[in-house]
Amino acid sequence: MSEVPPTRMNQQVFKGKKKAAESGHKLLKKKADALKVKFRDYAKMIAETKGSMSSDATTAFFSLTQAEYAAGNFKQKVAEGTLTARVRVGAGIDNVAGVKLPVFTPYETGSIADNQSLGLVGGGKKIVSVRDKFTVFLHQLIKLASLQTSFVTLDEAMKVTNRRVNALENVTIPKIQNILDYIDRELDELEREDFTRLKLVQGKKEDVEADKENTNANGKDTDITADFDAQDDADVVF
Amino acid sequence: MASTPSGTHGGMADFNIHHGFIEALIRGMRSSFLADSDYHHITQCETLEDVKLNMSETDYADAVSDLTVLTPSGLQSAAINKLVTEFKYVRTQAVEPLATFLDFITYEYMIENIMLLLKGALSGRDINELLAQCHPLGMFKESTMRSIPTFEANAKGFADLYQTVLVDTPVGPYFAMFLQESSNAMGGEVRNVIEEVEIEIIKSSLIKYWIEDFYQYVQKLGGETAEIMGDILMVRADTNAINITLNSFGTPLNEPVMRTSDRKRLYPAVGHLYPAGTHMLADVSTEEELGKVLDLFPQYTSIWSVHAAEAEMSIDDAFYERDVQALELAFESQMHFGCFYAYVKLKEQEIRNLVWITECILQAQKDEINKFVPVFSSHAPWRSSTKAR
Repeated sequence: MSEVPPTRMNQQVFKGKKKAAESGHKLLKKKADALKVKFRDYAKMIAETKGSMSSDATTAFFSLTQAEYAAGNFKQKVAEGTLTARVRVGAGIDNVAGVKLPVFTPYETGSIADNQSLGLVGGGKKIVSVRDKFTVFLHQLIKLASLQTSFVTLDEAMKVTNRRVNALENVTIPKIQNILDYIDRELDELEREDFTRLKLVQGKKEDVEADKENTNANGKDTDITADFDAQDDADVVF
Repeated sequence: MASTPSGTHGGMADFNIHHGFIEALIRGMRSSFLADSDYHHITQCETLEDVKLNMSETDYADAVSDLTVLTPSGLQSAAINKLVTEFKYVRTQAVEPLATFLDFITYEYMIENIMLLLKGALSGRDINELLAQCHPLGMFKESTMRSIPTFEANAKGFADLYQTVLVDTPVGPYFAMFLQESSNAMGGEVRNVIEEVEIEIIKSSLIKYWIEDFYQYVQKLGGETAEIMGDILMVRADTNAINITLNSFGTPLNEPVMRTSDRKRLYPAVGHLYPAGTHMLADVSTEEELGKVLDLFPQYTSIWSVHAAEAEMSIDDAFYERDVQALELAFESQMHFGCFYAYVKLKEQEIRNLVWITECILQAQKDEINKFVPVFSSHAPWRSSTKAR
C-alpha cells in the first residue's frame, strides 16, 4: 500500500483495474456455472451408461458361451488369423464454454472381417449374434470412455475456474478496493491540508490587509518623501 | 488314398476273434458317461467348487483332482486329455482293419490342427503357442508339426511345405485334391489359394474329402459297419451341407457366382441329400428356398421346422440331438465298428455339456443351464415319449 503514490492518476488507473476485475469475475462466474451444468449432465450420462453396460456385458459373454457350445472353440481361430480392426476410434475435440473436451467417436474402417465364414459347419448364426452383441458392447464402451475422459477434463477445468473466481473475489478485488480506499483517504487528507493551509494563508493575508488599512487610515499627513531616501540610489557619474 | 484294409472285419461268427476284446473295452467305457443323476447334481451347484466336488464322484475324479481351481476351460482340457488317453489305449490294442478305422477318426482333428498351424504361420504367430492350441487327438509327429510354420510364406515355400511335409501326413491326399480343384477353378498358385480362400472354407473342403474317403472305406469293410457307419456319415454329410448353406447367407459365399463355383464344391458327395438335394441346395439363396428344398426330405423337415420356429432351440441344438440319437443307436448292436466312432463323438458331446454347465454357473445364467443334450439319458425325447423323431 505504501508503494502506490496516492495521485489522481493512480486513482483513475486503479478504478479501471477494479472495473476490469469485476467484469472478469462476472464472466468467470458464468463460465463456472455453465461448466457445472455440463458436469452434472455428464455424471448422469455416465451413471446410465454404466448401468446398461453391465447387462450388455453379460449378454455378450453369454452369447459367446452359446456360440462355443454350437461351434466349438473358435477363439483360437480368430486370434490366430489376421487381426485388422473393423471399428476404429477417432479422437475429436468438443468445445464446452471455452473448455476443450476430448471426445471419442467410433467409425467403421470398412475392412470386412476375415472370419466371415467362421461358423460355416455349425453355429454360424450364433457366431453372427456374438459379433453383433459384442459390437453393441463395444459401442457402449467407447461411449463410456469418451464420457469419462471428458468428465475428468471437465472436472479439472471446473476446479481451475472456481479457483480463479475465488481468487478474484477474495484477493484481487479486495486488494484493489483497499488501494482505492487508501488513495481516497490520502487525497482527502491532502485536500484537507491544502484547505487548512489556504485558510491560514487567507487569514494571514486578511491580517496584513487589515494592518495596512489601519496604517493608511491613521497616517494621512505623513510625508510621502519620508519613504524616499537619497542614499538608495547610486551616484550618477557622467 | 488311405491304405486298403486287409479284408473285412468278419460278421457275427469271426468278429470277436480280432476285435472282441476291444469292443468289450469300449462297452466298459460306455458306462463312464455321466448319468442323469450326475447331470442333475451338477446343474444344482451354486459354485464351481461344488461342481468339482460332484465331479469327483464320477469317472472324471482323476481328471478333476489335478485342477486346484475348476474353470470351464480347465475342465475342458482335462476332459479332452482323458478322452485322448482312453482313445490311445484302445488304439494300441487295435489290429487291422480297426486300426485304420480309428485313424480315420483322428484325421478330422488333424485337418483342424494343420489349418490352425498354417493360418498361424501366415500371421506370424509363435510356434509354441500354436502347438499348445492344437487338438490332442490330431497330433502327428512333433517334428512334422514344428516344421510347418518354419516354411517361408511365399509361393515356393508353400509348394515345398506341401511336398515335404503334408504329403507324408495321412491327410496329405485331401490337401492335394483340394489344391488341384482350386487351382483348376481359380487358375492360381498354391500360395494364392491358401491366402485368398478363407481358412474355414479350406477346412470345409478338406472335411468333405475326409467324409467321402471315410465313407468309401466303410463301404469296403462291408457288413454291419457299412450299414451303421454309412448312415452316421451320411447324416454328418447332410448336416454339413445344410449348415454350410444356411450359414452362407449374408456372406460372400452366397453370391450367385460363388454359389456354383465355391459353395457347391463344399457339399460332400455322400448323404441322403446327394445328388439331387445338393444340386438344388447349390441354387438356394434364402432361408425360404432352403426350407422348400428340405421339405422334400422327410428326415430333415422336423429339424428345419425347429429352425423356422426359432423358439428355445436353435438348429444347431436340433442337429446335436439328432446326432446323439443316431450315435446312441450305434451301441445297440454288436459286431461292427460304429461303437468306436460313437464313443468318441458322444464323449465330445459330454465335454461340450460340461463346459456349458460350468459356464452357466460361472456367469450366473441359471435359467439357460438345462439347454444341453445329455448322453444316454433316460429322459431323452426319443426314449420316453412314444412319438418317433
